[in-house]
Amino acid sequence: MTNVKLTDEEKRMLQGEGGPVRRICMEYLVEMCEMSGAERLIDLDGTGDFHTPGLTMSPYYQISLDDLRDLAEGGGYFKIPTFANKSPFPEQPPIHGWQSCNLCSYRQADVRQDDPAFHQRAMHEAEFELLRKMGMMTTHSCANYLTMTYWPSIGQHCSWFESSQIPYCNAVLGARTNFDGSFATCFLGKAPYYGLHITENRYGRVLVRTDRLIQTDLEWDVFGYAVGCAVKCGVPVLTGTAKPTTTQFQKLNSAIHTGGGVEMYHIPGSTPEAPTLEFAFGGKKPEEEVLIGERELRAAYGYLNYHTCDQVDMVYLGCPHLNMVDLMRLVQRLDGKKVRIPCWVMTAPWLYHAAQEMGYVKALASAGVTLMSGACLAAMGAVPEGVRSIAVDTAKQANYVTGCYPDEDARLQVCYGTTEECVAAALTGRWQGEWR
Amino acid sequence: MEKIRIRGRAEYPGRVEAEALVSPMPLQGFTNVNPDQGYTTERNHPLFKVCYEGKVLVFPSQRGSGGFLKYGRGRKPAAFVHTEFSPLNVLCNLQAHIPSMTDFERDPMEVIETGDLVLVNADEGYIEITKKNR
Repeated sequence: MTNVKLTDEEKRMLQGEGGPVRRICMEYLVEMCEMSGAERLIDLDGTGDFHTPGLTMSPYYQISLDDLRDLAEGGGYFKIPTFANKSPFPEQPPIHGWQSCNLCSYRQADVRQDDPAFHQRAMHEAEFELLRKMGMMTTHSCANYLTMTYWPSIGQHCSWFESSQIPYCNAVLGARTNFDGSFATCFLGKAPYYGLHITENRYGRVLVRTDRLIQTDLEWDVFGYAVGCAVKCGVPVLTGTAKPTTTQFQKLNSAIHTGGGVEMYHIPGSTPEAPTLEFAFGGKKPEEEVLIGERELRAAYGYLNYHTCDQVDMVYLGCPHLNMVDLMRLVQRLDGKKVRIPCWVMTAPWLYHAAQEMGYVKALASAGVTLMSGACLAAMGAVPEGVRSIAVDTAKQANYVTGCYPDEDARLQVCYGTTEECVAAALTGRWQGEWR
Repeated sequence: MEKIRIRGRAEYPGRVEAEALVSPMPLQGFTNVNPDQGYTTERNHPLFKVCYEGKVLVFPSQRGSGGFLKYGRGRKPAAFVHTEFSPLNVLCNLQAHIPSMTDFERDPMEVIETGDLVLVNADEGYIEITKKNR
């Protein structure tokens, strides 16, 4: 196992001089080093986030609520700006719109998200009060970066969590994170020094070409999924695409880290560490070349669709959580219309307030659409009772939501396509999407 | 009986011998694994609903959500043996505390088949495979 070199201050924390919470956090970080091969810790100068409640980092590393209270009341603060991604675990309640959320919590058929008592319990207020006192900003979104209002700058060392955010931090913002955001990393402001903290590991390894210009939201989503499947945990350099919009970056990041384990990529001319193709590869030749062309895209699109009929019982939009422009466009698309089947739209909780100010919540409600925040179907682990087929516009949701229904007699069908096709399905109850 | 030894890097120590269960595809967590049953629920996956509890779980890599760590909870494998390493393995190993190895001198996916007997000796940094059909 790796011999981890600690500073004197770190050694003292490990010996318990800073109290039990610091000791547990240091033990956790040392074990992470041993597992990853990191020889030391790096002091973080960027931002952090983690799934909450985060007091149980593993069965072997648990912080009690009493210890947390002592820490918070004794003036303990997170060392780096720290955000809460996702809904409060493990119940995953939506923050807004839970009253309309007529489904059971994850694999718990006897508790429902729209039960006020359950919702209150699932919000873990006792713990959140303490975390907020320690400085945590409870953003509760898988697309934290939409609302953090405070991005790490290029080269800063971070500790983030949530699959779609990892490539956003590394590739889009040019900051440096491994997939390791936790109470320990954020509280101590330290993380194991390996992987994407190190410049050498950030260069491209795989050249990805395509024979179809990638420019629509759906093309970016399918492309991301197919690239992930092809390059697995590699660092791809994507060529032959248009310049992605913010929405398309959101789709690419969530899809590429669903199809594969891609934590870093480059788009020469678009992402900060790839001013040129040569630079993206660190001056070296690609180790591998992959074509994600029409054939591969069509295959991925076919895989993500999982239905035998065109009936749709429900439409779900908001994976990752929709940004403000997505919401505005949706309001425009639905102007004067009324959906025929349940249509749920998910955004980040902090954006929900802004959407309310803009009149979008009301506008969507008058079209029969429910705007919610802070969760998603797959995270909640269920669809409403009676729903056997859903329509989505995201590879990530299409890929995960069926895992909640593995039994033959309860299979969930998924129609996957463009946002426009999903809106059409909401208005008609029928799926007419196709790869064009 | 022929034995094949491959050296690698230990992620979590320990020594265990058990039957191998090989996943030809990367493994995915979150909704696509059920730790209470000890199997993957990913649609169309070769190991869909095949229980890995008590097996040496051999796989090429992991993909997707941080919920991959659920492979280290509930009905756990006896050990992890995987080709590619990523921070998701760290998250999973922190949950599991079972012998785990990666970064092999030769890709174990090319050698191990489901049913082979695999000794994972993470204390001394190698795996040893006894082929079932020889």
